[in-house]
Amino acid sequence: MKGVLLKDLYIAKSNILVTVVSLIVLGLGLSFLLETGALLVLAPAVSTTAVFISITSDAGSKWNKNVLTMPITRKRLIGEKFVFYILLAGLGFIAALIPCCILMPTDTAITIDSLYLYASIGISAALFAGGISLPCAYVFDPEKSQVVFMLSFMASTGIIVGLVLLTNLFLSVKDHMLPAFSIVLVISAIWFFLSYRITVEIYQKQDIN
Amino acid sequence: MNNALSISGLTKTYADFTLDGVSFDVPVGSIVGLIGENGAGKSTTINAVLGLIQKEAGHVSLLGKDTLDNETKEQIGVVFDGSNYPEILSPRKIDRIMKNVYDSWDESSYFRLLEQFSLPPDKPIKQFSKGMKMKLAITAALSHHSKLLILDEATSGLDPVIRDDILDMLLDFVQEEDHSILVSSHITGDLEKIADYIVFIHEGKVVFSKPKDELMEQYGLIKCGAAQFDALDPSDIIAYRKMDYEWQVLVSDRDAMQRKYPKALIVPTTIDEIMLLYVKGTTQKQTTQKGK
Repeated sequence: MKGVLLKDLYIAKSNILVTVVSLIVLGLGLSFLLETGALLVLAPAVSTTAVFISITSDAGSKWNKNVLTMPITRKRLIGEKFVFYILLAGLGFIAALIPCCILMPTDTAITIDSLYLYASIGISAALFAGGISLPCAYVFDPEKSQVVFMLSFMASTGIIVGLVLLTNLFLSVKDHMLPAFSIVLVISAIWFFLSYRITVEIYQKQDIN
Repeated sequence: MNNALSISGLTKTYADFTLDGVSFDVPVGSIVGLIGENGAGKSTTINAVLGLIQKEAGHVSLLGKDTLDNETKEQIGVVFDGSNYPEILSPRKIDRIMKNVYDSWDESSYFRLLEQFSLPPDKPIKQFSKGMKMKLAITAALSHHSKLLILDEATSGLDPVIRDDILDMLLDFVQEEDHSILVSSHITGDLEKIADYIVFIHEGKVVFSKPKDELMEQYGLIKCGAAQFDALDPSDIIAYRKMDYEWQVLVSDRDAMQRKYPKALIVPTTIDEIMLLYVKGTTQKQTTQKGK
């Protein structure tokens, strides 16, 4: 897996660098206007765009056909993309967290609770979106996958709202904000794992021409 | 293990094409050329052998194993038409990637081959010519102690000089007695130079699988007029074709035919001509209307 991951890092290196620097600069720059922690909601999902750059590049060069003749199984190839997605979401999260940590001593609005809340929303959104868009990248052609990728962020927002409303039926979300979004986070992680298993199943049976 | 690759009854059906019970072997230490027109089933066969497409029936044995596990894949080098490496990468980056993919990756052999083929290690692949990309793909395929090399149309679209370099690389590779090559190409001239066996696929079926020397030394082409053609025994004819001013008749033993038809003009044939006669000719003799 390490070799394939390294290939993706080479392909997406500049995109990752730009995203990380932008998130840090935005976090610091917007601190005068907005709550810096709010960036944690967007950062994990935004930073995963590099995965789709690598998937498009793979399709263009027929890399998957080539790499599957090497000692790499289909399951491992799919697993690498999901790991790459999580790594990028994590990197985006850390990049957005850096300005928060820098400003925390001087900004009273930044608390551990607020950071946890924004982070759980952001990570849940990224996991739901990835759980939708990654399987589609192996079913549809690259153009359609790009459309699904964009739509998946809207869908993930809808799923989160739906889950919060559902949670509200048995737990007052207003009074129990952190536990409610923790439930959403756990569900998104399960969703992402199930999506990985489904993608592996689909890809095992697919003809690679 | 007598065969590096053994295929029997390989079948795959698409909406508009069927690979129909393909069977042939690649003996250890030999080069087998897979020929056929575009769409004949060469790539489908190779893709099925490599597990890239699901076969419906048939049996494939690679390096003595019935399953294509990672241990077997370590010993197989594959080159497709095009480099199939992301163009942003350089040969040096490919080395770093492959070190983490193959347990048997031989870095020193890789850089030695890069130098031998004048491939700059730090230049992105997007700046390479098609020939350089192909040499790089073959270099990578040769740098993990492969025992079987599978090339699918790897020389198509390349100029004769580069093709000759690549053929030399293949001949070097097969000097080791346990090394074998399966190479598909529609440039039959290349296969005439290097192949030990020729497998001809037409419309998804193996038409013949024969030693190249048998084809080159025994097969012949009778060039004759209508009267002489009518006099030929149908059982002697493999395939025939009516040209503008003559009939071309493919026969499997030109010396025997020369003895049987002493007045006939029988010339040695090329693989190209054999392929053309099978594809564009007729295999069952019908008598001509004289003078037509």
